[in-house]
Amino acid sequence: MSTVKSKKLQVGTDATSSNNFTIYQPATPDGTLRIGVGNADSPTEVGQFNANGYVATKAPAFKAYASATHNPSLNTWTKIQFDSEEFDTNSNFDTSTYRFTPTVAGYYYITAKLRGALSTSVSTMYVSLYDGTGHEVGFRSLVNNLNQQIMETTALRYFNGSTDYIEAYCNFQGSGTATVYGNGTFYSSSTFQGILIKAV
Amino acid sequence: MTLYEKITTLYTELTDADFAPDTGTIMLQNDSDGNGDYIKEWNHPTLAKPTQEQLDGVQ
Repeated sequence: MSTVKSKKLQVGTDATSSNNFTIYQPATPDGTLRIGVGNADSPTEVGQFNANGYVATKAPAFKAYASATHNPSLNTWTKIQFDSEEFDTNSNFDTSTYRFTPTVAGYYYITAKLRGALSTSVSTMYVSLYDGTGHEVGFRSLVNNLNQQIMETTALRYFNGSTDYIEAYCNFQGSGTATVYGNGTFYSSSTFQGILIKAV
Repeated sequence: MTLYEKITTLYTELTDADFAPDTGTIMLQNDSDGNGDYIKEWNHPTLAKPTQEQLDGVQ
């Protein structure tokens, strides 16, 4: 039995380097085995194995929240202002447009949670996931005036990794002043989060 | 005055049901981009979509 010792091993010899893979130990060993696309002289890391198993380099996951309370118009789909992040592993969530645009194609689990209320009465509060073409709606009828309510909608969706995006909207039907609560009032009041389930 | 309030002032026969998600025929939207509320869809069977001039005239 022979033993091969090397810091890098290229798999594939295609003339197009992106058709080849390299498994390697980083320049400063840290207990990980890296996997890269490309030839051994300049691989682009796509993942690694460490003591806990495989870790993808680009695996988008985010949790955003509304930092402040805001007041949407009644009977109007209004984009919830998720202007702060707890984490955003691949920098795919934009806190100025409140939009998640993953750059890795695949299937994602998305949830939006809304803590809201109307000042006088309410019939229904809606929260939706919006992809630019239509609202995927979750809703809950409210029975007690003035009480804050929490509702959530979820979806498993495919994103193409370039142009597909998702946003969260709310809609209040009733009377009085509608309020979307932010973290200034209650921790984790209204949140928007998602994670890659399966890359393609 | 919100866009919803202007529309229901112009057309007093409209109710919340006309704006209801899933079943309504009028959809108002606000993309939180500083441009305010706007009419996203107007599919009411008898009432015409109000013009900007009509909306501006509502006080």
